[in-house]
Amino acid sequence: MSTKNIVEMRNIVKRFGSVVALRGVDFYVRENEVVGLVGDNGAGKSTLVKILFGIHAPDEGEIIIKGMKFKKLTPKLAYELGIVLIHQERTLCTNHPIWRNIFMGREITNKLGFLRIDDMKKIAYESLSQLELTRMPVETPVKYLSGGYQQGVQISRALVFEADLVILDEPTVALSLAETQRVLEYVNELKKKGKSAVFISHNIYHVYPVADRFVILDKGRVVAEFYKENLTPEDLTEIMISIARTGSVPEKYKELNLYRKSQLT
Amino acid sequence: MMTAIHELKGVRGIISDYKLQVVITAIFFAIWFAFYVLNPSAFTNPFTYTSLMSISPYTIIPAISLTLVIITGEIDLSFSSIMALGPLIMAMTWQAQGEASLLGVILGLLAGLGAGLFNGILITKLGIPSLIATIGTTFLWRGVVLVATQGFSIPLGQYRDSMVFSALVGWLGGIPVQFLWTIGLAIIFWLILNRHRFGAYIYYIGDNRVAAQMVGINVDRVLISVYAIHGLIAAFAGIINTLGMATFWPTLGDIYMLKSVSSVVIGGTPVTGGLGTIYGTFIGGLILEFIEMGVLTSGVTGFWIRLVHGVVIIVALAAQGILRRREIIRARVMRLITTQATQQSTS
Repeated sequence: MSTKNIVEMRNIVKRFGSVVALRGVDFYVRENEVVGLVGDNGAGKSTLVKILFGIHAPDEGEIIIKGMKFKKLTPKLAYELGIVLIHQERTLCTNHPIWRNIFMGREITNKLGFLRIDDMKKIAYESLSQLELTRMPVETPVKYLSGGYQQGVQISRALVFEADLVILDEPTVALSLAETQRVLEYVNELKKKGKSAVFISHNIYHVYPVADRFVILDKGRVVAEFYKENLTPEDLTEIMISIARTGSVPEKYKELNLYRKSQLT
Repeated sequence: MMTAIHELKGVRGIISDYKLQVVITAIFFAIWFAFYVLNPSAFTNPFTYTSLMSISPYTIIPAISLTLVIITGEIDLSFSSIMALGPLIMAMTWQAQGEASLLGVILGLLAGLGAGLFNGILITKLGIPSLIATIGTTFLWRGVVLVATQGFSIPLGQYRDSMVFSALVGWLGGIPVQFLWTIGLAIIFWLILNRHRFGAYIYYIGDNRVAAQMVGINVDRVLISVYAIHGLIAAFAGIINTLGMATFWPTLGDIYMLKSVSSVVIGGTPVTGGLGTIYGTFIGGLILEFIEMGVLTSGVTGFWIRLVHGVVIIVALAAQGILRRREIIRARVMRLITTQATQQSTS
């Protein structure tokens, strides 16, 4: 894992009317790093990644991607900068075949805009075979695929577009145990290919095996940050419970907490 | 379990979307056969079919572009008024120039394009639901036409020998030219929907608008373009209708609102969007026109037309409903099988 940041978000503030969803969040992802973004409901996890993907514009703060500063992004710009968001079923058109979903919004065409269907099917097949997802023909409509398979299609999309950062927003929700395992394997596959990822989950046991570093959000703030090698899943659970109850990290883990912002001390 | 996985590869044919189109085609031939039995002499007479080819374009042409609108999950009712606005501009230009000029046709088409753009902007930029917005513009453009003509028709018979007439509503090899235009437009729109990036975006917007936005598709721009194209094509349909009658009627288009919408729906395009075919719409339009002709040639009164239309629309929708329900069950079964397949490959 390098120490170079692929993405950096500085002092991000986001308000929805009178509700403050994010209160000055600093967040970064390094090259070839998987960040587990965890926290209770309403902590601001989804809002933060939606800002990173350009769905929401922050009220304050800035985003630095590959050395370029942005006040806000759009999904199109985020795609161009190599960021892909994967959400449970959200970013698929289920009536359409696998290959169309993989190339959605970035079709390979001739100069007149006509689709080069055979090329797309071939590339889709190659990308899916990297994830061992070739049991179904690429012409199969996505609605015929199980939840885990659908997530595989979305990850395949990220591979085809050579995304540098894949954001997975609760990708294991509503999946069976074995399918969850498959999705975790996909994330490992991304990491092997040198990609970075942000993995959001309520379930510590889903995010723990794949993440290198954990960032814990609470009530719109980052409250803690740990390297995985310093913690067991049980430690992480204990920290999360403590944060939910008292708003702070238990004393015995404070030394390990990488996040020491002035307002927390 | 392995057999199930193996079988999945063999179901490609079943998965394909052609079943609905086969059903629609079967309904068309069933109706043809019924009328043939009722009145064999009329339905072996070529004149019946040339008449069908002369009048069906007025329903089918606007239905073709309306298919695009409905696939996006939106609706447009105002095309029925745009069908009058376009030829009005053309007729007024011709009156002013004293000749059947191409300029008149172009201005008429541009009026349709502009009216369509206006719909698109109301719906996307002001966020007015398409049903409401286009009810508003239906009245607006019809009102413009009625005020401009004071309710009077504009006779255009004196231009019958012009190039414009023969190019749009003449005859070519015994076939009405307007039917050739219809086939040409159907092919172009089929290509756009199935082979072009723009068509893909139309389907994606109807299927999952949030997903389309998330992958960076400019949804507003696509919707505005779809409405503009539909306005242009509606004006074109109005122009050929006017030339076919050699008279501009200020009420032109009114009857096509329901007929064209029905063609799209009979053709298997659900109003919920995301699905639909040009082929289905084409056959749907032919079915409606065929019924009209069949009822009249069967010797019963024209009052039967609406009744038979109603029955056929309900039968077609019921057949589609059954097919879709089976499709939902199949999708569930397939998801279950792929879940098990994934579990097996993990274990």
